[in-house]
Amino acid sequence: MARVKKGCEIWAIGGGKGGTGKSFVTGNIGTYLASRGKRVILIDADIGGANLHTILGVSRPRTSLTDFFERKASLADLIVCCDSSNMGLVTGDLHSIDSGNIRYTQKLRLFRQIRTLETDYILIDLGSGSHANTVDAFLLADKMIIVLVPEITAIENMYHFMKNVLFKKLKISLGSRGFKEFLQDTWRNRTTYGIKNIKELIDYLRKHSTEVREVLDRELSGFRIYLIMNQIRHTSEISIGFSVRSVCMKYFGFKTHYVGYIEYEDLVWRCVNEQRPYLQSYPSSRCAKEIGRIAENLVEGRQIKMTYS
Amino acid sequence: MPGEDYRRYFEILELQPDASFSEVRNAYLHLKRLYSTESIVIHPIANEFSEESRQEVLQRIEDAYERLSALFQDNGSAYTGSRGQPLGPEEAGDVHEHVSFSGETLRQIRQGLGIKLHEIAFATKIRLQYLENIESERFGDLPPEVYLRGYIVNYARCLSLDSGRVARDYMKRYRDWKKKS
Ligand SMILES: Nc1ncnc2c1ncn2[C@@H]1O[C@H](COP(=O)(O)OP(=O)(O)OP(=O)(O)O)[C@@H](O)[C@H]1O
Ligand SMILES: [Mg+2]
Repeated sequence: MARVKKGCEIWAIGGGKGGTGKSFVTGNIGTYLASRGKRVILIDADIGGANLHTILGVSRPRTSLTDFFERKASLADLIVCCDSSNMGLVTGDLHSIDSGNIRYTQKLRLFRQIRTLETDYILIDLGSGSHANTVDAFLLADKMIIVLVPEITAIENMYHFMKNVLFKKLKISLGSRGFKEFLQDTWRNRTTYGIKNIKELIDYLRKHSTEVREVLDRELSGFRIYLIMNQIRHTSEISIGFSVRSVCMKYFGFKTHYVGYIEYEDLVWRCVNEQRPYLQSYPSSRCAKEIGRIAENLVEGRQIKMTYS
Repeated sequence: MPGEDYRRYFEILELQPDASFSEVRNAYLHLKRLYSTESIVIHPIANEFSEESRQEVLQRIEDAYERLSALFQDNGSAYTGSRGQPLGPEEAGDVHEHVSFSGETLRQIRQGLGIKLHEIAFATKIRLQYLENIESERFGDLPPEVYLRGYIVNYARCLSLDSGRVARDYMKRYRDWKKKS
């Protein structure tokens, strides 16, 4: 299908609990897209926990994002080659600097340069946690992707991250129109107003004025988080993604796209330990097919359907 | 083409407006279970949401399902239950009060839902041949009783049926056959 080229698309993978498989998913979705002839650049922005190069079997490169932040090197010069000629990687070896101190302006500079890269897809591995840094970078992407595992602690951390992201979104949207105080006041006095959750906050804000309502409706109608379930050990766990999607809509008031799931597979960690890219070692495994389906769904903006409950 | 009103009901059940009745029913059962039990998805945020708001959500789901069931029945594409009657919303929730689950009943329910046997095979990882034997009650060609029970339970879950009841009924038929042969 012929498409009008509209620049590259940035996908950010992040949030929530550590170890759900964000780096594994990022690396392998990238590998898949590259294998389908797309140009891909992966950026490991997991500050202090960079390991994407290992998952891809790239030996530790000499350049990294550190050079971007400390030496003001240009991003394009930091890209190292991977196995596939369609794919490049910017590693994130950042333990030499104080990671909490990367200022917002630094991040904006990073995203400005990211947008100028000559490529089709840019995948950013943001690492775990709900740090303001991560939340900001997440919101700057064209597609915001969360990798979840079927585990109550992971679900809990994911909700926390989502709420942070949504609140920050409200702050940016309303703040730029002079409603920053109003938002902060409302939130600070939420018990007085009987606001128990973020949905009730939004409902309350909407009642303020037509202008606020229009801003919120416009900003939130385009707001969408993409959800991937990883490390599925039983088919019944597939439906957790649908449950999460429902809770996000009915309790938080925003849209989630459930784009697919990946089974738990012992071969995955064996590949990781042997520093062999999984998708290249087992291109016809079930996991590989699931990763391919997720990548396609993300490209097309599709989601999976419930086949039975 | 459903009008504006129905679009809203599809939305409440988190479906596209072109969803089939089997999709509507699956979504309804899924959501009903989600908001009436304490699962790992609900637990972490349970304290943020009052019992009333949970009941409100459940009520909206019930209403949407009731309206959509009526829509599908009016269009003549209704799911015909095992008694040859279209299933009403209450019946579909805790299905089939008065039937005993035979292989033929299971087949009819499955076909009524528009689910293909190979889809069940895929979802349950039960071999297609076994599923065919289960529905046709070719008891002689089925695996031993201990495995069979597990298969029936999984198959029943796929159809959103009460798996305990289905297994009880079906295994009784199996044992009756065994006694005779
Ligand atoms: N589908 C899977 N099957 C089996 N193991 C998996 C799967 N996905 C990931 N893993 C394993 O889980 C471990 C964590 O994966 P990964 O490093 O990608 O997580 P992460 O979310 O990036 O972690 P962090 O938050 O620390 O950055 C890896 O060692 C990998 O082997
Ligand atoms: Mg990681």
